[in-house]
Amino acid sequence: MPPVQMWNIFERAGTGPFCEDDDFTFKILMPKLQQVIRKYDIRYDPAMPIPQDDDLADRVWQAAVEFFLEVGVLNGDTHRRILLEEAELREALYHAPGRYWVGAGKDARWWEHRAVEDERTPFCIFSPDITCDEDLFLPMSLAYIQEPLADSVCAPILEESMGLPIKSGTPTEMAGVVEHAMTLRQAAKLAGRPGMFLVAVGTAQSDTGQIAVSNDDWGVRHTDGRLIGILSEMRVDNELLNKIAHCAQFGCLVGCLSGAIYGGYAGRAEGTAVLETAYHLVGLTIHQASFQQSFPFHLHFTSNSGREMLWVVSMVHQAVSRNSRILSTSNGFLNAGPGTEMVLFEAAAHGLASVVSGGDLWETAVARNKHRNYATPLEARLACEVGHAVARQRMSRGQANQIVLHLLEKYEAQIAQAPKGKPFQECYDRRTARPNAWYLDMYKRVKEQVATLGVQFPY
Amino acid sequence: MEPILVAAAESVIAGRKAEAERHVAQALTAGLSPQSILTEGLIAPMAEVGARFERGEFYVPEMLIAARAMQAGLAVLKPHLAQAGVVMGGTVVIGTVQGDLHDIGKNLVAMMLEGAGFEIVDLGTDVGPEKFAAAVREHHPSLVGMSALLTTTMKNMQSCIQAIEDLGLRSQVKILVGGAPVTEAFATSIGADGYAPDASRAVALAKSFG
Repeated sequence: MPPVQMWNIFERAGTGPFCEDDDFTFKILMPKLQQVIRKYDIRYDPAMPIPQDDDLADRVWQAAVEFFLEVGVLNGDTHRRILLEEAELREALYHAPGRYWVGAGKDARWWEHRAVEDERTPFCIFSPDITCDEDLFLPMSLAYIQEPLADSVCAPILEESMGLPIKSGTPTEMAGVVEHAMTLRQAAKLAGRPGMFLVAVGTAQSDTGQIAVSNDDWGVRHTDGRLIGILSEMRVDNELLNKIAHCAQFGCLVGCLSGAIYGGYAGRAEGTAVLETAYHLVGLTIHQASFQQSFPFHLHFTSNSGREMLWVVSMVHQAVSRNSRILSTSNGFLNAGPGTEMVLFEAAAHGLASVVSGGDLWETAVARNKHRNYATPLEARLACEVGHAVARQRMSRGQANQIVLHLLEKYEAQIAQAPKGKPFQECYDRRTARPNAWYLDMYKRVKEQVATLGVQFPY
Repeated sequence: MEPILVAAAESVIAGRKAEAERHVAQALTAGLSPQSILTEGLIAPMAEVGARFERGEFYVPEMLIAARAMQAGLAVLKPHLAQAGVVMGGTVVIGTVQGDLHDIGKNLVAMMLEGAGFEIVDLGTDVGPEKFAAAVREHHPSLVGMSALLTTTMKNMQSCIQAIEDLGLRSQVKILVGGAPVTEAFATSIGADGYAPDASRAVALAKSFG
């Protein structure tokens, strides 16, 4: 939505129709979601983790639009629903630019909307999506920033600063966010990518924390990006609105972070796909977002590389790509951890399903996103190498579906007992921020196997 | 098991609220003991619901309608439980910690604990340490459950435990923690009595605390 409507939205956050929390979820959101699934005949087919039905994708979009307009977003602080008229949504969709110039200097680049089966390669954001030890922050950041396919990086999250545990809303958070922002910028400079588009600062949970790091000299620049999350499901609060207002006024790009939960209030694959698609509309209008950072995940496994979740991921990106110019990154959440073959096969599957469906990539949370220090750039690298390959070879969804079925055979049965793997410092040399030889060898072996399935890697 | 209790259990699992109420009323009329109606007609099916959730056959929507059917049946049964001197499973105070507005984990655990016969005092989300402590003082629970979805908010769990300790009430409750970023090691480090990775195990732990 154009920023001129921003204050219109903020006003509704305080004056919209009143609704109690439980009534919103149980009497409005859940019934409406089930109703649109039936109305638009949306059905999950386990044989098609990458569907090839354009009409189905468009029906998911229509269901999401109807759901969004009727349900709205609940401000948990005021208990008011923010509701839009259909004309306002159409206006916002019309004005979505579809491309942004991100970063600065020689490291700046275009980020453009992609179509389904688009031959243009995906915009790749590399991120560990996990907390890390304070003394690992710089080597991990360096490792990610050094990846050639990384168009952007989001750093790990600090839990301590100067040896003190970081607690949201206290001075320790102020210390942590400054350390995060400055160290990330230092890493970018050391790696020779000083103008890289950085998405920051995950350590900042509070609005004050985010505002504290807005600084073109040492912190988050107006050429960088910030994430502002949606509260599950279809909620916002005044703290998030503060972040939205600040980022719009500061001038950086905003990514709306959304993760509809499979098995939660959305129900199964169909509801999760519609809800996650609707979140793109929330991002565009309520969050004033320039892009969506989409991570639907399974309630039990906290992952989205299983068969039903790949269907959700593919369906969402097809629906959004075909019906809007919204930029959307598909965030992998994988079951296995670093240093395992399983995580690499999962990464390949996620990258493949996302890119052929029109998405960009945000790779990747691993080991169920649960264990400090457990993530390395190699998992993200494979997802993005696969993403680049399938775009360049103009892979169809049908071909992609066949490959993904073979990839699922490699790991699907192990999802419930996925190996945790090893932490960053056992997979990488922390002094050089480069992968250890054994992990690189494993990477090459898995990549060769993926290639035999039909993925034509350019190198 | 008595056929009417089998029917009541099936109504709960299927989420048929009116039917559950009717079957409980019929079981009472037939002279079955309130204890047996509670245990076999209402609590046992919720344990089955929990098992199906663990197996991935049921998710939140199915659990929700089953829980509502169970509560509807329980509403019919409650006056008779009191008369018969039947005591429920104890009181649980539950909430999502300060700074965190995510409620799905908390709601799942609350549903399952209620299904297992516990009385639930749900404090909601964004609950500060003082509010947890005050709830312990007011409701005398046997168990306190805390949920957090963010690594930055889960640290508030320790403050809640401290607040309960400051009121001299720590020895009177067991404290159970859970949520996506929470681990067994974290639970131990903050002095919690238990960690549950999911709602079913929360129930098992709650029962094991006696």
